[in-house]
Amino acid sequence: MYLDQLQQQLADLTNCGDPVFAQAADNIQQIVEAAKAGQLPPAELKEILLDQQRQLSIIDEMSQLSLKEQLNTVLTGLIKIISAV
Amino acid sequence: MRKLLLLAIVALLPGCALYDAYMLTGFDPNEYLIITQIRTDAGLYKKQCNNHLLASTNAVAISNKTDLFQNYNEQIPHNENGIKASKSLNEIAQGLANAYIDPKSEPSALFCKLKYNSIENSAVVIQHVVGKRPR
Repeated sequence: MYLDQLQQQLADLTNCGDPVFAQAADNIQQIVEAAKAGQLPPAELKEILLDQQRQLSIIDEMSQLSLKEQLNTVLTGLIKIISAV
Repeated sequence: MRKLLLLAIVALLPGCALYDAYMLTGFDPNEYLIITQIRTDAGLYKKQCNNHLLASTNAVAISNKTDLFQNYNEQIPHNENGIKASKSLNEIAQGLANAYIDPKSEPSALFCKLKYNSIENSAVVIQHVVGKRPR
């Protein structure tokens, strides 16, 4: 896998239509460009890219939690309705 | 009739999802306060990355706070998603602190700013979900 190919995939993701992932892809593109320009040493670039993965994991966990919370709100509402009948 | 309909809706939901959702904890003001502090600190510290001495102190301070957030989440029952998210957030901050603690490393201001961006963005995501919990 070459850097050019990976950057093309990032460019494709930037136009994917999902604002969260498009923004994330754009951020990563800028970080890679900064590293290519010598503004970020490889060790720092690696750590920053790992952070992007950690952020994806946080988004994933919080999305699941948010869905559970929505379901809990519905359940609470249903329980209240059933109790009132 | 309405009672039967409601029971049917509940019966259609998968058991695990139902249990997980029902056992969720409500709004926790301490949890919300800590994640709000992390977000606010990250926004402030990001502006001080050009001052190496200050940046070094700030890095340790924010990593202590994310450590506190992870430890706080760790023992809350039925909180697997929160535990994993707080662990990832802490890893981001510890990476920043370690870079300043390591005598062989001299973190760049750009690295410092990108780290705080990651911390701030992650804290916003967590704060959004924690803040929406039923009160």
